[in-house]
Amino acid sequence: MKEFLLTIDRRIIFIFVALGVIIPSLATVRLPIPITEDVKAIYDTIEEVSAKNGTILISFDYGPGSMPEVQPMALAVLRHCFRKNVKVIGMSHWPTAVGLAQEAFDIASKEFGAQYGEDYTYLGYKPGGGSLVINMGRNFHDAFQKDLQGSNTTELPITKNINGLANFDYVICLAAGNTPDGIWIPFGQERYKFKFGLGCTAVMAPDQYPYLQSGQMNGMMGGLAGAAEYETLIETSGKAIAGMGAQSFVHLIIIAFIILGNVMYFLYGRQKGGAQ
Amino acid sequence: MSRDQIFFIVFFVVFVAINIYLFGSGSLSADWTGFGIFIAAGITLSLYSFLYKDNPLFKFAENLYVGVAAAYTLTQVWYTVLLADVVIPFSELDSESMSNLWLIVPSLLGLFMLTQLSSAKFSWLSRIAFAFVVGLGAGLAIPRTIAANVLAQLEPSMRPITATWEGLDLLIILVGVVTVLVYFFYSVEHTGPVGVASKIGIWFLMISFGASFGYTIMARLSLLIGRVGFLLEDWLVLPLPYF
Amino acid sequence: MLFLRRTLPLIIAFVVGMIGILVFYIPHSGAQSLEQELATWDRIVAAFALVLGIYSLMRLHWSRVRRQQAAWGYSFLVFVGFVITTLFAIYNDGIGPFEPQVLNSGPFDWMYKYVQVPADATMFSILAFFIASAAYRTFRARTPEAAILLISAIIVMIGRVPIGASIYQGLPEIAQWMMDVPNLAAKRGILLGVSLGIVATSLRIIFGVERSYLGGGEE
Repeated sequence: MKEFLLTIDRRIIFIFVALGVIIPSLATVRLPIPITEDVKAIYDTIEEVSAKNGTILISFDYGPGSMPEVQPMALAVLRHCFRKNVKVIGMSHWPTAVGLAQEAFDIASKEFGAQYGEDYTYLGYKPGGGSLVINMGRNFHDAFQKDLQGSNTTELPITKNINGLANFDYVICLAAGNTPDGIWIPFGQERYKFKFGLGCTAVMAPDQYPYLQSGQMNGMMGGLAGAAEYETLIETSGKAIAGMGAQSFVHLIIIAFIILGNVMYFLYGRQKGGAQ
Repeated sequence: MSRDQIFFIVFFVVFVAINIYLFGSGSLSADWTGFGIFIAAGITLSLYSFLYKDNPLFKFAENLYVGVAAAYTLTQVWYTVLLADVVIPFSELDSESMSNLWLIVPSLLGLFMLTQLSSAKFSWLSRIAFAFVVGLGAGLAIPRTIAANVLAQLEPSMRPITATWEGLDLLIILVGVVTVLVYFFYSVEHTGPVGVASKIGIWFLMISFGASFGYTIMARLSLLIGRVGFLLEDWLVLPLPYF
Repeated sequence: MLFLRRTLPLIIAFVVGMIGILVFYIPHSGAQSLEQELATWDRIVAAFALVLGIYSLMRLHWSRVRRQQAAWGYSFLVFVGFVITTLFAIYNDGIGPFEPQVLNSGPFDWMYKYVQVPADATMFSILAFFIASAAYRTFRARTPEAAILLISAIIVMIGRVPIGASIYQGLPEIAQWMMDVPNLAAKRGILLGVSLGIVATSLRIIFGVERSYLGGGEE
């Protein structure tokens, strides 16, 4: 037994992880999801924007590689906006986000009867990063002359009165890379002082806390758990809430493995230089 | 026949059998959507076969994906920049839009960039384009980095500390920021008070690296949950209570 | 020739770099217009840079196919994926490449939804298995520092998922405090260090000390 645990084939751990995800996905156990202030702040800001019939910008800066984490945030935020008549303009710093963003707009707009051109539009991807944000800052119509459907932004009802970033009541970045701290905050928020919220992968989340405390960012959803909180706030169960059972269960499995590994290390490993 | 070959043949046969059943029972529709889900499930499982060991199925899916992804990015660049910001403005050039003529400059610089892969005779032209992009990028970044990531980050670290729990948190943050900076300051030997400070800095760093590690595990598992959700719900059409 | 190959690029980097810095501090409309124009140019050149990147990737795979290097069949597959998707992009669901892009129907969208999305998403999710295995093998409390790291990771992993509150009510709050205070402090320290590094590197580029972007080859 001792030898088995010290030289365990990694494929056995793989099987535990796989079962730890599959079994809870089939089960009907549901845990209450506590809400953190950082997620509530985004929800509250959209409620405020709704009260003044405002417009927000969502930057879809992720790709299929982070889709399971970030796409539920995109859907939850869009559903919230369309339910509360908040107008949404979408764009992307990542080329691979385009299909996902379009799909999220299609799903959410159909559910709430949001009208293209009036309630939302999607501008698509442009390269340039910081330079794109500089252009959008003062000359929005020049940066995006047309949206993805080929309509002129100077004529489309939702975009014709947007001259620059300061005209947005809220900017939300949904990110899987450095676009919030590398692009949106230094090139946009710093100069135009718009309210800025973030939805990001869990990998990025710990790095964003300095911006939350400094007020450069007013709220954050981190990873699938953050998305599940937002789904809870808008009382719409989506893929994030669905995944929380599996997420909880498989975390316990990994922690059990970490503890087991340490017990083995303190009992035998130190003499042998650790398990192989 | 080796054990691995048997393993992959069984894998393949089971996959085909399941799909025959799914299409036969109508769980997967006999149209492009149903076919798409079948292909997507095949790609997903082929990639997961890497968990057993590296194999041709994995490589097949991986390389096909690289080609598709490259073409997807190229397509976005074409439609939203090269077509919208270069080709159309030039094709619509008239007396009113003469300012668009300025676009010749970046277009030329862009073409210069492409000489990078040509013969040595012309490849030096790409240096001009790179010099423009890198130089401008550096220039635009300097004031913004100082304003947003240095000054704006220093200010909240130096707020007045009060005799409350929030004040205590602010004090801890101040100590943390200073000691972490001391730890990264290699010009001074880490002994005496500097050594103590850098030691405290390490503790702060360890807490934050632990947090990052925990979050990274969380992130990877979320991606796995997403894929398992696809396989169970969209492909096998199992009744998942909450998906 | 040396002037064109080396000195001219350094002059260009210096001039546009200095303009990039100065226009930030000059509120005059002329300076702002210059900043807008340069940013527009930068965006367009960036698009060509992407084209260059894809072209060089394809060239690499093409040379493997041409020389029939080991496993050249896989490089051929890259081409198959690339060519098919590009043709679908040009077809653009029947309206051609000079009309707005069709995104929610047609074969191009199909390739994205059923090849690119599952492949990309699965590729990253495979890491879930390896990180679990690595956690078991290497995550050991060998020193007090390693113990802090380990405990911090475990608190976050339980405190950030719903089961944390079911185990102990205070866990989510402890996890939140850890993120808000000690984690924030360390991340801010790193951020300040990295930002000053970016500023220093950028200055080196502008003043021609750092010239690796010019690439190797003859001067």
